[in-house]
Amino acid sequence: MKFSYNWIRELVDGLDIDPKHLEQLITIKTAECEGIEPFEGSQPGCAPDSIIEIDNKSITHRPDLWGHAGMAREVAAITRRPFLDPVRVDLVPAGPSPARISIEDFELCPRYSALVFENISVQPSPAWLQCRLEAIGLNPINNIVDVTNYVMAEIAQPMHAFDADKLHGDTIFVRRARAGECLTALNEERYELSTGNLVIADAKGAIALGGVIGGLESAISDATKRIVLESANFQAVGIRRTSAELKLRTDASMRFEKSQDPANTVRGLARAIELLNEVCPGIRLVGGLADQAREIVPPPAVLLPLDWLVRKLGLAISEEEVRDILERLQFGVETSSPGVLSVTVPGWRSTRDISIKDDLVEEIGRMVGYDTITPSAPMVTATVPPANEERLFHHRVREMAAAQGYTEVYNYSFISEDMARAFHLEPHAHLEIANPINSDQRLMRCSLLPGIWKNIEENSRNYDSFRLFEIGLEIHKREDAVRLPDEIPHLAAAVYGRGDGVDGLFELKRLAECLMPGAVVARCEPRPYEHPHRSVALRWHGSAVGRLFELHPTMVAGRAAILDVNLQLVYKLQPGTAMYKPIRRFPSSAFDLSVIIGLRDEVGRVGELLAQFAGPNLEALEFVRQYSGPPLAAGQKSVSYRMTLAAADRTLSASEVSAVRNGIIEAMRAKGYDLRI
Amino acid sequence: MLESILRDLECSARERIAAAKAPQYLEAVRIEVLGRKGTLAQISKELGKLPPEERARIGKLLNSVKQNLETALDSKKGQFDHEALRERLESEWVDLTLPAPGTRPGALHPITRIQTEIEDLFISLGFAVLDGPEVETEYNNFDALNIPPHHPARDMQDTFWLTDGHLLRTHTSPVQVRGMERLGPPLRMIAPGRVFRNEEVDASHEHTFYQLEGMMIDRDVSVAHLIFFMKTLLSAIFHRDVEVRLRPGYFPFVEPGFELDIKCLICGGGGCPVCKQSGWVELLPCGLVHPNVLRMSGIDPEEWNGFAFGLGLTRLAMMRYGIDDIRLLQSGDLRCLTQF
Repeated sequence: MKFSYNWIRELVDGLDIDPKHLEQLITIKTAECEGIEPFEGSQPGCAPDSIIEIDNKSITHRPDLWGHAGMAREVAAITRRPFLDPVRVDLVPAGPSPARISIEDFELCPRYSALVFENISVQPSPAWLQCRLEAIGLNPINNIVDVTNYVMAEIAQPMHAFDADKLHGDTIFVRRARAGECLTALNEERYELSTGNLVIADAKGAIALGGVIGGLESAISDATKRIVLESANFQAVGIRRTSAELKLRTDASMRFEKSQDPANTVRGLARAIELLNEVCPGIRLVGGLADQAREIVPPPAVLLPLDWLVRKLGLAISEEEVRDILERLQFGVETSSPGVLSVTVPGWRSTRDISIKDDLVEEIGRMVGYDTITPSAPMVTATVPPANEERLFHHRVREMAAAQGYTEVYNYSFISEDMARAFHLEPHAHLEIANPINSDQRLMRCSLLPGIWKNIEENSRNYDSFRLFEIGLEIHKREDAVRLPDEIPHLAAAVYGRGDGVDGLFELKRLAECLMPGAVVARCEPRPYEHPHRSVALRWHGSAVGRLFELHPTMVAGRAAILDVNLQLVYKLQPGTAMYKPIRRFPSSAFDLSVIIGLRDEVGRVGELLAQFAGPNLEALEFVRQYSGPPLAAGQKSVSYRMTLAAADRTLSASEVSAVRNGIIEAMRAKGYDLRI
Repeated sequence: MLESILRDLECSARERIAAAKAPQYLEAVRIEVLGRKGTLAQISKELGKLPPEERARIGKLLNSVKQNLETALDSKKGQFDHEALRERLESEWVDLTLPAPGTRPGALHPITRIQTEIEDLFISLGFAVLDGPEVETEYNNFDALNIPPHHPARDMQDTFWLTDGHLLRTHTSPVQVRGMERLGPPLRMIAPGRVFRNEEVDASHEHTFYQLEGMMIDRDVSVAHLIFFMKTLLSAIFHRDVEVRLRPGYFPFVEPGFELDIKCLICGGGGCPVCKQSGWVELLPCGLVHPNVLRMSGIDPEEWNGFAFGLGLTRLAMMRYGIDDIRLLQSGDLRCLTQF
């Protein structure tokens, strides 16, 4: 929202601070200023001005600050100067109006006021008016429309002028649109309406979309001779709903959705009378005010206990000072009981902004200045906070992965359909964003792999080899859509290189083993994006926790090994505290065994069998080497393990050790294995 | 007679020791002269045949010859050992200017770094660290935070909606609601995490970024406490004393609501491009928790009150590391990410 410095100065008696200083005051006391721009104006005779830009978000709760008078009232309160109200309500004539108003839905339209004027001459506005509008970013159109815009920019009351000769009948209806009813608006767009939309209508049909935009048919033209000037109040929620539905935000809808004060409708008309007399020579009012409203009950006074206020602010402040501040802001203040003030809220603050005592804390605090509050330490109980063990676990995993050479990446939670399909994930199995920024960010990831794939592809343009990892959430749709989706933390790590790719797989296997000591790999059905002979499932404490594989060569140039682990599961499977076992006191004995297997037989299987057959005294089983070549037959390899035996209570005798060894050999042979002895 | 034999023996043995070229020559001398069947052992057998006074004198002489030769052998052996060690050391020259093998550590993401640092800080102040889901209900993200449907404040946070009616949380504030409902008062909690806004991405805007929400609820929490707390916290984050100021800010879940600025750390308040010449940098929104928010989470606002704040982790990471393009943080580009 743009504010003209000159305009504000006009409404605050004797304001003598420069724009820069004024901007700072407003920022500290009221709303956020985003900067000041000088304004020269295209018209000759425009007074130079400074335009203060206020962040719209910071006045979301202040319907009054959507006009210059509201801001001037604020500045007057801050600088302790009189506010000069531009509105002379006494200008509104008494007597019946030629126009009749029929509000059918007081919920959506609490008040509708109008005046009829005749003897209009539509012409360009005088330079001063055009300058004012131009300064705050509004286009001057003609004297009639410019006056409605001026009043809106001044007292935040949007208005609309109809060409009276284009209306049918003498009654203005305020009603819900009929299903399928259409309106061509001032912007020359045609809108199909629904019963949720409120229209202004004549005997024939809709002539405006209430509080949002006027209709084209009844618009002011150069030929206009008589006008009906509307100044109404519309309910914020209805306006927002309509404006969202039709994707149509206007200066009017932006103000009404902030909950404007119904008292302002007549004030708007009063101000318009004065301005029209000035810019439209010969104009005449026809009759008096047409005004229909539901009963508007003033909100109850807010009780403000002073000791409570002092406790909330943490600042000792006197009753006089509190009164002074509230009265400067035009609140009504009375003493309800000793130490408790009864505060009446002015209409322009009560529609949304202020209804409870907490709201008054802000009024006092900002006006007295938050910088006058001395910071003090809160008195709270010293307690140990509940630990978030799972989060700490994630941090440890991060540290571990980084220490092993992996650099952490963050990927978006969104993926494209193509990325999903590349990993054989059905797009319809994903949660979908209804309003994505673009179509390739429409699906919520239910795997980290598509993101990691993209990282691999992009970084391979800059590096011959690299390691990276991500810890992030997989988001899984549930059958029962009412419940929130399942969000499962995963670790995905990748090693990229240009060699034969084997080292990368084993590096990741090591990372997996560091994370899950004793995890085992299990043969599994390879997935289409996995190298069919380089893919295993990882199991830990009996549960499938993830996968280790090389990305299928059709998906990447070079080699990319990937580890994908369900961290939620790994966290749950972690063993408890390790208890000390006494250090063994008796010496151990070791021997090696070499087993002949086929080149593509799994070494791990041999180890498993050896361990199984070694019995309870096996202390360690260590892979020594594998060998293929003469004297072994082609297609064979020899696998050597060192086995260490020990007993807790004695030294094993040579014959006990050789009995175990012979037992293993016999059992292996029974399984069909050949041993080199 | 024996005396001259001993003296000759010592003399010749010394010569052989001195002339020895390798440790095995010394061993030969030792066995031949000092061994159990060596020359000295032979001679000592002869001692018994001597008259007593002769026996004592020759015996003494024999011992001294033995000792002298042992000393000579040890000393020569010491020389050999020393020489061998010297040669070994000499041969073991290593060029430590060569690069070390093995993998270099990777890097943690800048947001991870700043986030864990701030988590630790809060834990030390007695705060619980809570998590909440990234996909939230409309109720938790808006309604329970005093932002009912069609409230214009919903415009402040452009929202990604899911086709099932849920949404991607637009702030970490819904975790406040979860924290209040789960732990109840008194409560000190933070909730760091990923949030989403439906915004076009450019160098300073992202649709995905990181926030840290904080909340303290107790019997008697004031604006003065909030200022104290924020000042303490920010001084710890920036590792120096920071000056803060509050100005009005509108957030429906707090009342009063503030924007907290810190005095520009670059220019010290004099005015520079970073603070747009104002001397102050907007850092975090905060305020006293709105009584409606407390009530909706089952807490009596007449008995309890508190403050809440939201810290932009992404922004903080960019400030800390001098990152000038927000998109780098989620680019996965190792040229950037390996720098930390």
